[in-house]
Amino acid sequence: MIEVEGTLKSRLAIWLLATVSALGVLLLAEAYFSSQRAAERAYDSQLEAAALTIAEAVQWEAGQPVVEIPSAALQILATRHQERVFYAVLDADGQTVSGNLDLDIAPEWRRRASSQPIWLNDAYHGTQWRLYGRELDSAGWETQDPVQIWVGHTMTGRESLTEVLFEHAVTRFVIMVLLAGVLMLLAMRVALAPLRRLRQQLRRRDADDMQPLDTRVPEEMREMAETLDSLFTRQRQGREALLRFTADASHQLKTPLAGLQTTSELALKSDSPDAWRQALVEVHGSAERTSRLASQLLSMARLRHAVEANATARIDALALLHETAFDWAQRDAAQAHDIGLASLPASPQYIQGEAWALRELLGNLIDNALRYTPPGSVITLGVVSHAQTLELYIEDDGPGVSPEVMAHLHHPFERGGRQDTEGSGLGLAIVDSIVRRHEARMQVESAEKGGLRVRLFFPYLTQHEQG
Amino acid sequence: MPIRRVALVWFLGALIPCLAWADNPLVVEAALDREVAAPLLDAFEEAHPHIQLNFRDRSTLEVDARVADEESPPDVVISSAMPWQMARVNEDYAQRLESPEARAWPEWAKWRDEVFGFTFEPIVMAYRLDLSRYVMPPKTHADLHTLLTQHRETLRDKVTTYSPSRSGVGYTLFQQDARYTTRFWDLVAAMGATDTNLEANTRSMLEGLSEGRYWLGYNLLGSYAMVWAQSHPEVFVQVPQDYSLVMMRMAFIHRDAPHPGAARAFLDFLLGREGQRVIAGETPLFSVRSDVMGPYTAQRLRDQVGERLYPIPLNASLLAFVDPSRRAAFMERWQREFQRLSQPEPSQGEPSAESHIDKGPQR
Repeated sequence: MIEVEGTLKSRLAIWLLATVSALGVLLLAEAYFSSQRAAERAYDSQLEAAALTIAEAVQWEAGQPVVEIPSAALQILATRHQERVFYAVLDADGQTVSGNLDLDIAPEWRRRASSQPIWLNDAYHGTQWRLYGRELDSAGWETQDPVQIWVGHTMTGRESLTEVLFEHAVTRFVIMVLLAGVLMLLAMRVALAPLRRLRQQLRRRDADDMQPLDTRVPEEMREMAETLDSLFTRQRQGREALLRFTADASHQLKTPLAGLQTTSELALKSDSPDAWRQALVEVHGSAERTSRLASQLLSMARLRHAVEANATARIDALALLHETAFDWAQRDAAQAHDIGLASLPASPQYIQGEAWALRELLGNLIDNALRYTPPGSVITLGVVSHAQTLELYIEDDGPGVSPEVMAHLHHPFERGGRQDTEGSGLGLAIVDSIVRRHEARMQVESAEKGGLRVRLFFPYLTQHEQG
Repeated sequence: MPIRRVALVWFLGALIPCLAWADNPLVVEAALDREVAAPLLDAFEEAHPHIQLNFRDRSTLEVDARVADEESPPDVVISSAMPWQMARVNEDYAQRLESPEARAWPEWAKWRDEVFGFTFEPIVMAYRLDLSRYVMPPKTHADLHTLLTQHRETLRDKVTTYSPSRSGVGYTLFQQDARYTTRFWDLVAAMGATDTNLEANTRSMLEGLSEGRYWLGYNLLGSYAMVWAQSHPEVFVQVPQDYSLVMMRMAFIHRDAPHPGAARAFLDFLLGREGQRVIAGETPLFSVRSDVMGPYTAQRLRDQVGERLYPIPLNASLLAFVDPSRRAAFMERWQREFQRLSQPEPSQGEPSAESHIDKGPQR
């Protein structure tokens, strides 16, 4: 089920928007304060210049400082924004030598200005003023008292300059954000191009094209591409296995059918009833084998495809073993062999499974043992209870199998390297399928007496589940 | 009973003018001759019939004092004493005028959009016909200096100019003269030597000229002198040929104007096309606007006199003129220079005018 959850573009856009807004608030705050500082510096220097111009005009006359306020100083103070201006020249006692507004210079300010020039913001008659005060050491013939010069102006120019600078900063920021947005869209198109390419490639693929992908992807998409590739590989393997199985099955069925044809043709050419009877016996035997082969192929196919029928039940492994062993011991095919049970646990041992499949499994194992061992061999079935698992085993004292062959014994149509038997090679493959369906584990090994031992480990049902 | 009747009559008597004035009064304190401004005021009343205009013509120093009157502040303040007007604006006594007329007003004739120079009045010399019988009338400041030096005895007591102590305009003009050249002080000394009479206003100087008391006047307001000369053929007006100062009458709306709406209407009228047209056509105040036509416009004056017009700059530098210590220093120098050449003969003809240089009212 594919659920569409937004688009990558909107996700990226939201992230970008969030970061840009957060960053923007910081940047704009910074821009505002730096605009303010810049405006302050620009206009503070005007105050300094005005104070300096006034200082030039201070002279001593008869022990008193006198000053002829220069027009230029006032024009500098007013700036081009036509600020209202303030100036005051104070003597050492704080008495006004010259000045224009009744703006009080606090003694505290005078004390501070006496050590170094100071800047102040002050409210005067409801208006904000910027003041600058500095002390001037000027010497007359009679007295050498310092003189303080104070200048100030209103702040229209500073405010409008701050505004202008801030506006510029905001404009720059907005342009930057817009550019970033456009670039992001372009970048997204470029970045998502491999994904689009892959999609198109997948769409163009034929239904039965299981070749690995042939495409270039960025590092971030490698895992996805590899997963897709491995999916294709598994599908291809499954298909190939199916084709091989079908081919093998056809081949297996063809041989006995050809035999039947030959036998029946020879019998038809003869007039002797004895020959007919002989042929009928052969036909009967061959039909029996073919029918068995067909039923094995059927159960193989059933196991491979009947995934839906999960009709499992609680089964007593001991009873199943008993029943199956007894059934096989009765059969004609087993008359030359000795089928027996090892000593079994006293209490019933339950596992979860499908009864028909388990019966098929044991049957195949017994049938295999009968077919691949010489007459007179002993075949033993047994149950061993382990901590987590219940082991069912079957062993014989036949010739055994070489270790190289043992690894792929469970492949279909594998006959343990033997061509001298009548088996189809499907037995262990069926066993293997059933074992996997029951989430059990199969282990094939050489028995102590030289024959083959097949051990099956089934997951145990706990006491509670057995309950 | 009679007391009640008296009370009633008194009450009605008090009420009637109240009703009349309650309409929409406007108080204008102006250092501007009512006679000169009459066409302008009539035009305003015609344009705004609902506004009761109360135009009070006073001296510059009186007008300046009225600005600080907290009990009954005026609505509009008009004065030719430019530094004092500027100082009042700097003291935050003006309010900003936000109107298309104010915005369109030339930058050089306004400050902070609060105070506006709405006239363009040249400063002139005036002489009586008698003068030309003896000497060649002066055309420049240098001519004047030469004349005063060479014909000292002829011109003794016949020359008049502003008193810097009693007139704000006169003080401003001399300050501005002194800024241009130090030779101005030679002129002051020469004027002192001829026992020049110091008057408080242009009108007194013109009256003196017509009466024959004075032959030559220096630094008169051109606006008044030109009108005077039209009705008094014995008086001639000379715009100085080297440089001519130009004074602007400055108007602002008082911060605490009781009738701000009417005040704005009045200022918009002064600055607007209609008011300036009246100024250009019917008063000798000269219009500042370049888009009005008439005999009295700044443009026409420039065409006649050339580029020798030097308007007193309407900016913060004016504030220096009203600085107390700078003013004191200037007055001291003025006094010294005025007496410089008359020192050797102190007993002879001590001019009465000099006595009120020191004692004249300070602002």
